[in-house]
Amino acid sequence: MARVYNWQLGRAMDYWYSENRPKRQFGAVFDINKCIACQTCTLSCKTTWTSGRGQEFMFWNNVETKPYGYYPLAWDVNLLEALGPQTWDGATYSGRTVFEAAPEGERVLGWMPEAIDYASPNIGEDEINGSVDKGMALSLPQQIWMFYLARICNHCTYPACLASCPRSSIYKRPEDGIVVLDQSRCRGYQECVRACPYKKVYFNPSTGTSEKCIACFPKIEEGIQPQCFVNCIGKIRLQGWVNPPERAREDNPIDYLVHVRKLALPLYPQFGLEPNVYYVPPIHVPDPFLIQMFGPGAPAAVKTYRNARNDKTLAGLFALFGSTERTIPFFRISGDEAIALDDDHRETVRVPIYEPLVIRPAEDPTRRIIRLNTT
Amino acid sequence: MSAHTRVSIVIVLLLAATASGACRRGPAIDTTQVTAVAVTGSLPTEDPLAAAWDGAPEYPAALLPQDIIEPKLMTAGAARVTVRALHNGDWIVFRLGWDDPTENILAQTGVTSDSAAIQLPAQAGSLVPDPAMGEAGKAVHLLYWKALWQDDAARAATGQDRIAALYPNATTDHYPFLANPAAKEEMARRYAPADAAGNPVTRRASTSAVQELVAEGYGTTAAAPSQQALGHGAWRNGQWLVTIARPLDEGPGMARLTPGQKTFLAVAVWDGTSRQAGARKMRSVWIPLVLQATAAR
Repeated sequence: MARVYNWQLGRAMDYWYSENRPKRQFGAVFDINKCIACQTCTLSCKTTWTSGRGQEFMFWNNVETKPYGYYPLAWDVNLLEALGPQTWDGATYSGRTVFEAAPEGERVLGWMPEAIDYASPNIGEDEINGSVDKGMALSLPQQIWMFYLARICNHCTYPACLASCPRSSIYKRPEDGIVVLDQSRCRGYQECVRACPYKKVYFNPSTGTSEKCIACFPKIEEGIQPQCFVNCIGKIRLQGWVNPPERAREDNPIDYLVHVRKLALPLYPQFGLEPNVYYVPPIHVPDPFLIQMFGPGAPAAVKTYRNARNDKTLAGLFALFGSTERTIPFFRISGDEAIALDDDHRETVRVPIYEPLVIRPAEDPTRRIIRLNTT
Repeated sequence: MSAHTRVSIVIVLLLAATASGACRRGPAIDTTQVTAVAVTGSLPTEDPLAAAWDGAPEYPAALLPQDIIEPKLMTAGAARVTVRALHNGDWIVFRLGWDDPTENILAQTGVTSDSAAIQLPAQAGSLVPDPAMGEAGKAVHLLYWKALWQDDAARAATGQDRIAALYPNATTDHYPFLANPAAKEEMARRYAPADAAGNPVTRRASTSAVQELVAEGYGTTAAAPSQQALGHGAWRNGQWLVTIARPLDEGPGMARLTPGQKTFLAVAVWDGTSRQAGARKMRSVWIPLVLQATAAR
């Protein structure tokens, strides 16, 4: 094991290989508050990449309902339980990562799902548990709240799948940090399936090899965002590049949300992989749950988000989500407009920060009717 | 039935019991080396139950968990594998036998396929490679049998693929590769990246249950240039009996196995129920292998 620095934990940690960051790192922000679980992302990915024999239960992109939805079944709670107490000392993680908690003989603390765990995505996770009028039919640890969690491969800085492969069949592309699984080299040992805490590597029983999200790298190489980003009808996603905090730039939209405003947070940072998909946490979820899932910065992020509409830079940046197919490496605010810029700082798209807003009284006196809000 | 008849039946049964007892001699055991017995004519390359095996002494090889590098096998599996061997001057065939209470053929998430392998030094010489998958500059030749590949060949006759075998009652709405019959093959490859990348482990074109590999250390396994090996396994009463055969002369780059000479072999087995695959295996140390001198032909 080598010692590497994981800024999400605020400390150094053990990893199978030494620290070797790519020239630039694929990064993304998902705004959970806007997701309606329409699964358009899931299908855009599925029809593009995983419509083959042996990929029937394989969703490189999935959307599940938290707290009771999982794909595969119990993917996070199984590992959270195995990992033991996950304590933070301020912004520094004082618990163990999946690398530090690796049992004797293992490279990573993981668990192996079974085929049946993938067999019922989204089944039963949206049903309500009780009637508000009559009180709760069941006594549950949480009040009735839920949110949709869209998930792809996190293209981690310290991938557990990569660390676990005894054949070194998984590598991180030096040019963009995308984690890919060499389909000519894999021999289907499933070590990566066991090791990835997010369970984003899948075994294909038809070919006998494992497969994973490739961040649509053929599109990214052309400066275009992946399928699940450009097809998102809720415009919850933005793809760009994320720097480590010491190199964060205010004009980089991902850096701005992650480092400058600390509004977008990694998913289960305590696992230790330094995942590179960042989430704006849901604003209506109890703090203990948010802290467990997104780290100690979650309550402050919620507070910032609640005021985002009144913050011109934040409001403008969120208006750029889903505004263009192009990757947005840089942005700036100009007057009442937000502008996306390419790698050479040339303008790619310009959007109004605030759409015209008309508030009408419920009663229409001319027609003498009550208007219904149908949107 | 008269008393006389009854006595006769008892005598006949006693004789039968005595006769079968006499035939039930255990196999000849040789604990010093694997001796490949020279025979004439064809070899039972794909028949682990052939009578010819009775003529080969049995070597009981102790197996150890692979506990040298991570990921290790922390819970031991089959502790012993029996090895027999025959050769006819052109080919050599081994038969491995080990206990495995469950038969695992199809691999899916969390389940691997029962497998076994024989390892030989790839190059002739007095210094054998590291028994753990060889070492840089000193390659090992691997003959890798997998129950899945044997099953593939059997199912090919009925046109049933692995998914249909795993989920016989499944229905599907649509596969893109079925949309255009003319482009079916190209589309099927497009949505099976390991096939499109030419990964030899998918074994689409193979009819043999044995794959030949070379390795120069952990994690370096690659397909061997020659793919001639044959083999067949039979799982009965909680035991696998598997034949694995190769030509004595594999062609350029691989040491010839020569009758009358001594070399080494090692064996490994993987249990699918215990999710053993790759480095998680039971393996032996090098075992002396002697090919009996061929009778003058």
